[in-house]
Order: sequence, then C-alpha cells, then structure tokens
Amino acid sequence: MSERRSFITQLQVAPLTLVLFLFFVVPVALVVIVSFFRYQMLVGLVPDFTFKNYYDLLTNPTTWALYLSTLKFTLMVLVITLVLGFWLSYFLVFHVRNLVVAIGLFLLCTIPFWTSNIIRMISWRPILGREGLVNQGLQEVGLIDKPLDWLLFSDFSVVITYVHLFTLFMMVPIFNSMARIDKALLEAAIDAGATRWGVIWNVVLPLSKTGIALGALFVVTLVMGDFAVVKVMSGGLSGSATSGMFNDLQFLNYPRAAANAVILLIIVMLIATGIFRLIDVRKELVR
Amino acid sequence: MNATIDDTNTAPNTAPNTAAKTAHASGSGEIRLVNLSMSFGATKAVNEVNLTIPHGSYCCMIGPSGCGKTTILRMVAGHETPTSGEVFIGDTMVVGQPPVNRGTAMMFQSYALFPHLSILDNVAFYLKMRSVAKDDRRRQARAMLERVQLDHLHDRMPAQLSGGQQQRVALARALITNPKVLLLDEPLSALDEFLRLQMRGELKGLQSELGITFLHVTHTQPEAIALADMVVVMDNGTIEQAGTARDIFDKPRTPYVARFMGAQNVLTGTVDNKSGTTVVLKTASGEALEVPGDRVNASVGEAVSVSIRRDLIAVHRAETGSTGDVNTIEGVVEATEYQGNFVKIGVIVKGVETFVANVSDQAYFAEPVIPGDKVRVSWNIDAVHVLAKVDAGNEGSPYGV
Amino acid sequence: MSSDRRPWTFFVLATLFTLFVIFLYGPMISILILSFQGPNGSLSFPLRDPSLMWFGEVFNPSRVGDVPGAFSRSFPLSIIVMLLTVLISVTAGFGFRRHFRGSTLIFYTAIASLIVPGLVLSIGVLVTARFLGVSANWYTTGLGAHLSWTLPFGLLIMFAVLGRLNPSYEEAAYDLGASKWQTVKEVVVPIVFPGMIAVALFGFTLSYDEFPRSWLTIGTKNTLPLEIWTMTTNVTSPSLYALGAITTGISFLVIGAALGSIYLIQRKRAGL
Repeated sequence: MSERRSFITQLQVAPLTLVLFLFFVVPVALVVIVSFFRYQMLVGLVPDFTFKNYYDLLTNPTTWALYLSTLKFTLMVLVITLVLGFWLSYFLVFHVRNLVVAIGLFLLCTIPFWTSNIIRMISWRPILGREGLVNQGLQEVGLIDKPLDWLLFSDFSVVITYVHLFTLFMMVPIFNSMARIDKALLEAAIDAGATRWGVIWNVVLPLSKTGIALGALFVVTLVMGDFAVVKVMSGGLSGSATSGMFNDLQFLNYPRAAANAVILLIIVMLIATGIFRLIDVRKELVR
Repeated sequence: MNATIDDTNTAPNTAPNTAAKTAHASGSGEIRLVNLSMSFGATKAVNEVNLTIPHGSYCCMIGPSGCGKTTILRMVAGHETPTSGEVFIGDTMVVGQPPVNRGTAMMFQSYALFPHLSILDNVAFYLKMRSVAKDDRRRQARAMLERVQLDHLHDRMPAQLSGGQQQRVALARALITNPKVLLLDEPLSALDEFLRLQMRGELKGLQSELGITFLHVTHTQPEAIALADMVVVMDNGTIEQAGTARDIFDKPRTPYVARFMGAQNVLTGTVDNKSGTTVVLKTASGEALEVPGDRVNASVGEAVSVSIRRDLIAVHRAETGSTGDVNTIEGVVEATEYQGNFVKIGVIVKGVETFVANVSDQAYFAEPVIPGDKVRVSWNIDAVHVLAKVDAGNEGSPYGV
Repeated sequence: MSSDRRPWTFFVLATLFTLFVIFLYGPMISILILSFQGPNGSLSFPLRDPSLMWFGEVFNPSRVGDVPGAFSRSFPLSIIVMLLTVLISVTAGFGFRRHFRGSTLIFYTAIASLIVPGLVLSIGVLVTARFLGVSANWYTTGLGAHLSWTLPFGLLIMFAVLGRLNPSYEEAAYDLGASKWQTVKEVVVPIVFPGMIAVALFGFTLSYDEFPRSWLTIGTKNTLPLEIWTMTTNVTSPSLYALGAITTGISFLVIGAALGSIYLIQRKRAGL
C-alpha cells in the first residue's frame, strides 16, 4: 500500500524532475564544464581542462569594473525597492480597511508584472528623453533652460527602469508576510505602550522578515542577471556582469562566456545561500 | 455496483441487489475493536484497544486532545489504517476496505461541504458517484433535505449557510448513504452555545428515530453525559472506562475518570482499621475517612483511593462544626463561584489538591463563606465511592499537576 | 489604529501609493498614446495629427521586422508552455503534499532554477543542444528553457493553493464512495481551479514576454520579445510603440480573462 503510494508520488513529480534535470541541471553543469574548455577562432569549442578563461577574466580590470558596477546597481535598487515594497505593503495591509479594495489595489500593482519587460523598458524613452515629458515639463515651468542630458541613457535611467520592473518582486512577498500578521498583535503592542514607530520596528518589521528576504533574493538575482536593461537604458555607457558574457557570445567564445557565467552563478548562489540560512523558505511557503 | 462487499459478508441479508440505497441499513451496526493499535512514528496514538459498541447505541468517546479518540473514529471510518488489530462492523472485518463498503458515514468537524456545489448537489454527491440518474438523485436528495428542514435552501451554496445549517447539510449528506454507523467528529464544536444545545437534542432524536449506531467524538463532558447510552473515556491511547453515562459519572473506575468527568473529589489513604461494615482509611495528613466495608478489598496497610461527589459535600464554618469527626476535613476557602442553582466552593486542604464542593444556593446563603474563611467539609459515608485503582497523582485533573 | 480618524501616515502613504501607480502605468500609457502619432509625429510628445498608420506599419516586414512571423511562433509557444506548466506543476504540487525521498532536493532545484540568471541558462541550454547534436528551435530548446522558468512559479503557486486545501474534502468524497479519479475530477480540481487559472496566467505571460531565456534557445527565427529587442536598436518610428501597444493589449486580454474567470468562480461560490 505505502509502496504503491510512494510510486504514485514519484510518478506525479517525475515530469517536473525531468524538465528541471534536462533544462536546468544539465545545462548549468555543462556551462561549468565548458568553462574549462579552450576557445579557438573559427573552430569554437575545444575540449580541455584549462583555467585560462578564468585567469583571463580575473586578471582583466574590465571584469572587475563591470562586477563593481553591477554590485553598485544591485545595492541601489535593493535599497529603493525595499523601502518602496515595505511601505506600499504596509499601506495596503494596515491602512486600507476594506479587504476588497486592498486586493484590488494589490492587483493594480501586480498587473504590469504580466506584461512585457522590454515594452515597459522602452516606454521610459518618451518620458526621460531629451524631448521627453520630464524635460518638456521642467522647461515649461522654467526650472531649466536646456534639456537635462542625464535623464536617459545614464545610470539614472537604468536604476529607474530596474525599480520600475522589479519593485513588484519585493512587494509581493512582503505583502504576503504582512497580510498574515494578526492585527491584534499591533493593538497589543500599542496597549503595552509602544509608539507607532515602535510597533513598526518591533512587530511589523520582524514579522515581515521572510518576505523581505525572499524579495531581496528576487531583486538581487534579477539585477545581477540582467543584460537588457543596462544595455538599452544606459545607451552603452554602463556595463554589467553580463555585458562581458554578451560580447563573448557575439564572437562565439563560449568557453569564456561560460567561465563568466560560472563566476556570476557563484556570486548569486552565495547571496542566495546567505538568505536561505536566515529563513526556511519552504516552511514559510507552505505555512 | 449495487452489491457491496459487506452485503455478502453480513448475516442474513435479504435485500435484493436493486435496493442499493437500503443495503447498508439492513446489516448490524455493531462496532467491535479487537486489539486495535495505531502508531505514528514512535508515538502510540491508540494502544491495544478492545471495545464493543452495541448495534443501535449512541456512543460518545471523550478524552483530552491527543488521547486517540479521533484516531479510533478515523480507523472505523476507513480514513486511517491501523498498525495492528481489527475493526468489525456487524460481522465483517473492515480493515482494508474503502469507507463506502463499510456501511459507515462520517460527519467531519469542519463539515467539509464541497464549496463548488450547491447544497442539493452536496447531498446528492453519493448518489452521483453511484451513477444514479440525475432526476432520481435530485429527488432523493431533496427528500433528505426536507428531513433536515432545509429543502427551501436547496439551491444555495455552502458559503451562504449559517453554521447550524451547514451542519444539517453535512448530516443529510452523510445519511443519504443509509449508513449502519454514523461517525461524528466533534460535530458541535463549531456552534455557539444555544445552537449546540438545540443540535444536541436533534442528534439524539435522530439517532433513536433511525435506530443506527452513532459514534460521536467530543471533548465536552456534559455533551457526552447528555447524549450517550455508552460513554468511552480515553487517555493516552487506551480506554480508561467504558459504560453507561450514569456509571461513568457516579461510579468512576479510576481516579482519572473521576477527575476528568469533573464532578468528583479524589482522596487517598491507607487502610487503618477493617471492622465489619466500615473501613477506616488514614490520609497522609492524618485525617480519618470512613468507607463502606463491602467495597474495599485491600487489607490493612494498603493504599486505597476513593471519590466523593461534589454535590454530596457539606461546607460549614470551622467554628460551627464539631471537631475530630470522621469524613470531615478542615481547610481554607480558596474561591467561590455562583452558578445559579448551586455555588461551587474551592477549599484548600493540606496534602490534597483543591477540594471542590457544590453546595445548593439555599445552603450556601444560609451560611455564606468567603475566600480565606476556615471551613470544615464533611460528607456522609454513602457518598463515598471506592476506586478500583490507587491514585498516582493528579491524573485527569482539570487543574493539571 | 482603532480610532476613526485616519492617522497622518495614511495620507503620506496614500500619496506614495498613488505616485507609485502613476510611476507604474504612466510610461505604458504614454507609449499607448504615442502609438497614435501622425505621419509627422516623432518618438516623443506632443501627439500630432492622430492616426492609425503606425499600427499598419507594424505589419510591414520591409520597414519593421517580421512581426506576424514572430507572433506566429510566440503565441503557440506560450500556449504550449501554459498547458504544460499547469499540467506539470499541478501534478507535482499534489506529489509534494506527501513527504518523499528527494523532495527537498527537487524543491531547492526548482528554486535554483527560478533564480539562475536567464542568460546563464540560455548559454547552458544552447551548449546542451550542441552536445546532443540537435538544433535550437522554439518548440524544443526554447520550450524547455521557458519551462525551467515557469514551472517553479507554478509549483510555488500550487504550494500556496494546496496548503489551504483541507484534506477533509478528499476524505469526505472517499467516504461518499468516490473513486480516486472521481475525487480528483469532481472535488479536488473544481476546488483548486482558481489556483490553476493563476498558474496558467503565469505560464502564458512569463513565456509570452520572456527574453533572456529565449535569446540563444529559440534558434534562427525570433519570437516576439526578441523581435522587439532588435527593433529597439534599428526602428526609430512610432511603429515600435504601436507594436508595444498591441502586445500589451494582448497581455491585458489574457490577464483580464484569467482574473475575470477567477472572480466569477469565487462569486458563484459565495452564491452571488
């Protein structure tokens, strides 16, 4: 009986396992293997076991500059999305009294998630461009007399776009955690003499920890793995960890692109493990 | 499809195979548990239980949470497979059989009404599973809803019904299977006090009308006492006592049952003097207790525990009573609680857990006491019931250890 | 909190929320407006002589890319990904309700698949195809790459949905004589159906808009997001916005259908 049951369970999970194995485990493993291969012009991949790709990358100051730039973006976006995600969720959970309204407003924030990132990205052009809405507006008011150049194709527009695209990934998990907080806890804290800030700091924030951690995980991996936004929105002025990879791929230098991918993967996984050590994600999810 | 397995295995069954809907009711609804055990990992939820519940009786299983009562119910229902032992319904060993072949129907604590089906379709679900034609099953389901006085709501969704109405639907859905045994898992726990009392009466009426076996799991003592022909008190996966409500209440077998049913004080002493009709016990603090001699088997020097019903105890101020009497203990009032027709007085007695006396309101207001007063509690020798087991501590006490 | 007067923080946060919503939708609305730009209009405001001409241009392969062709690949791909995502993540979700050997490993593999950078996976899938000697195509490698991204989402949603499914429903069905299959068909699937719609919504939209995982895996012919990506660099007319408006419109249709049907089901269950 129980053996048959466990067979059925295995069968139910088998398709998932198969897809993950074939299209995640094997590809990632091969990326690691290929990163030790040699690259030869016109031939492409040559099986080998060399650290040359890693050596090339790590001794190249450009690599370091690119990673530093990515880390800078990641940190900035993390802070902004965290602040936004926390306060927007707080507003929906604790200030909107009607549940239906809260759900409606929540959906209003999530709908753009289901639309194209690329479209959302280019939609900033008519806003931030030299003749964009912002420059037009500022000129009309008389605050500036010639258009600001740094609005589009700059670090500023890259960060704006990241925040635009990824705040939701921070907000949804935090909202989820906060929605589970028993409102009586807040009243109990106020009865115990806590101020509004005291309640937020001592009750709401600790109980939103899981959501914050999950959101941070999403935002960090999304920004670090991005290459589209930084390429289009910086106008080629800034680079990211993936820019090197992107260039190598244009020249079909798969081994070096793979080595670069492995380095990125290691950094992302390190951050992820750090976050997973803080919380038991699975337990929190099925709760 | 029509001839279910239990039909062929039960004693004489004349129901033709066309009468599937009445097939179950024809068998016996006796439940017999033989050496029934259930382990979850290292913990034994149910430990070697033997019990026979006669056909057509209303049986309540009571005990603290985790005592194994729900597990037994679920093993009878077929939602849990015993680690060892057997379950008989009628003459059929049902372990390994699906619920529908056992002649049981279960009412879930949460009611488990399917949220996507109207209440008519909820009730007709069993018939749909047996491929009864749509018109036929709707007609039968409406008849059943009429029986629980909900026919006028047949097209509502479960979410639109009140708790009491949902429970009636759950009842109708269970009864349409024509069970020999109805299993009720804490059926009244989600209702408010008023509805609970009303439904309690209806359940009892329904059971005597149908004449089938009801097995009802509860954790409230008054519910068990009021409903059951047979009460089964459980603790730690074993049966402490099974018997009529009166026996359980008036003649508990063990200190655990005496305390758990909530109407008894438990005292322990060693046999001091055994002379003819009365036996004298000496408690640890030196008080003398007189006990009817014919009920004590222990010899001099051995320990005996007795229980004394709360409502057969008199409480007087220490000044007014005489000293040194048998069956009289001195103590200090801890608390009093007015209950309407009686007053509950807690008395702290040296060497004993809090002693409780339920004094009629006339008696109390004739001689009121307040916390801190020194009092004497006393009782008649006939109020003393000798327990079959010596007290090992505060087991079953509502106050805990 | 309990008083009826709103605290001042309410007004501050309500303002923040409103600004955020404008921030979210403003740019999208602006390209929607600009897609109606007239023949002499530029890529930015103001809107001159509103017309529909740029919508026509979208379907002119000589001016723009092969949009209809890209759509004819993107749409079926998203539908297939959606169906497979629902099927695989729902069955796996049920499997995960019981503890089994390797469940933690598979779970964390799924999470890792969710957070691995899309470009890294793209490279990996392409290299895998090379080793296996198959050519990259939207319906093989592309499909797999998309599933590695949509399945973890589907699984997480099913975890949330099934976590709330009271096991008593299944026991009640079993009690009333339903077979395993009848229990699934008559009770479990109808109850979790709104959750399955949510999984379908994620499956479709994530695939329909996916860019990095498509990049190296769909072979020589582009899907829509890649086509748009190419256009961002070489198309300088408002037809880019028109295309954006069209695809966003399709996304909104799908979102509306999904959320609308979930709403209708819940409404019916509430008896309204």
